[in-house]
Amino acid sequence: MIIPVRCFTCGKLIGDKWEEFARRVKTGEDAGEVLDSLGIKRYCCRRMLLSHVEIIDEVLRFYEEAEKRKEARSYYYQQ
Amino acid sequence: MEKDGNTMRLLIKGVDTPFINALRRNVLAEVPCMAIDEVVIIENSSVLHDEIIAHRLGLIPLKTDLDSYNLPEECSCKSEFGCNLCRVTLTLDKEAKDGTITVYSGELISENPNIVPVSDAIPIVKLAKGQKLRLEAYARLGRGKDHAKWQPVSTCTYKYLPRINIDAESCDACGKCVEICPRKVLAKKGDKIEVRDLLACSLCQDCADVCPKEPPAIKIGWEENAFIFGLESTGALPPERIMIEAVKILKKQLKEFASQIEVQKA
Ligand SMILES: [Zn+2]
Ligand SMILES: [Zn+2]
Repeated sequence: MIIPVRCFTCGKLIGDKWEEFARRVKTGEDAGEVLDSLGIKRYCCRRMLLSHVEIIDEVLRFYEEAEKRKEARSYYYQQ
Repeated sequence: MEKDGNTMRLLIKGVDTPFINALRRNVLAEVPCMAIDEVVIIENSSVLHDEIIAHRLGLIPLKTDLDSYNLPEECSCKSEFGCNLCRVTLTLDKEAKDGTITVYSGELISENPNIVPVSDAIPIVKLAKGQKLRLEAYARLGRGKDHAKWQPVSTCTYKYLPRINIDAESCDACGKCVEICPRKVLAKKGDKIEVRDLLACSLCQDCADVCPKEPPAIKIGWEENAFIFGLESTGALPPERIMIEAVKILKKQLKEFASQIEVQKA
C-alpha cells in the first residue's frame, strides 16, 4: 500500500529513502546505482525499494474524484 | 576498528565464541531503546486502518535518551500508564485542506525535543483532500526480546578473523586464486600472491579449491580467539553506546548468575 517503514528482514529504516529513490529512478538513473548511493547494501533492504509499488496513490484517486464531484454539486446547487 | 555513521566494526581479540555470542544476543534482545508503544487515535479518516497507522508509528526509530528515562517495569511510579520518567507523548494533528498530502514522521510533535524520530522523512500516511488524522502516541523504553521495534540495531554480526597462509615454495603465482575470489582478497604482486584485504575474506575456500597444486599452496583458516564484530544501529542510539550497554548488561547477568550458584551451595 505505502512504503514500509523498515526492511521486513533485517529491520533497517528504509521508509525515508523511498521518495528520493522513486524520484531518481524516474529521471532515468540506474536503480542499482541509486540504491548504492543511498547506502542500502544488503539485498533484503534493496528489494524493499526495488519491488515496491505505491498502491495508496491509486486508492487515493477515488477520494480525490469524490471530493471533486462534491465540489461540483455544491457549485451547481448554489446557482 | 572503523565507524561510519550508524555502522561500526570492531576487532575483538582474546575471547571465545560463547562470550561473543552472548554479547551479540544482548545487543539484539536486551539493550533498551525508545519506540511508540500505545496510540490513541482521536480521528482517522485516512485510507489506512487505525491498526496499520499504529504499527507504522511503532516501527519509527526514535532517538533515545537512556540516562533520563527508565524502563516502565523498573520505574518508581509502578503505574501501568507511566509517568514523566518512563513515557514520552507524541501528538499528530493533520488535515488535508487543499489537495493530497503526505504526513511525515517529522510532523510528530514530541513533548521532549530530545526524543524525536531518527528521520523526519518517513511517510506515515497519505491524506486526500478533506481527510483527517489526529492521534496521541505514547513512546516508552523496551527491549528487543519483547518486540523487534525495540531493537537498537538492524544487524549485529560476528565472524572469525581469517588467516591466510600461502606456501611460498610451492606457489607459482598462477593467479587463479586471485581471479576466483569473490571478495578480491588476494592480489598478484610480481611473482608472488599477496593478501590485499584480509578482513574481507568470507572463508569460502574457493581459492584453495582452484589451486592446481596438490596439496594446495594456499590455505585458508581462522584465528581461534579473534573476531570481527559488526553492528548497524537504527539511529536510536550511537553504535558505541549500544556496545557499552550490552557489556554492562552482560556483567549484571553474570553477577546474578554467580549469586544464584552460591545460594545453591549453602
Ligand atoms: Zn534489510
Ligand atoms: Zn514511571
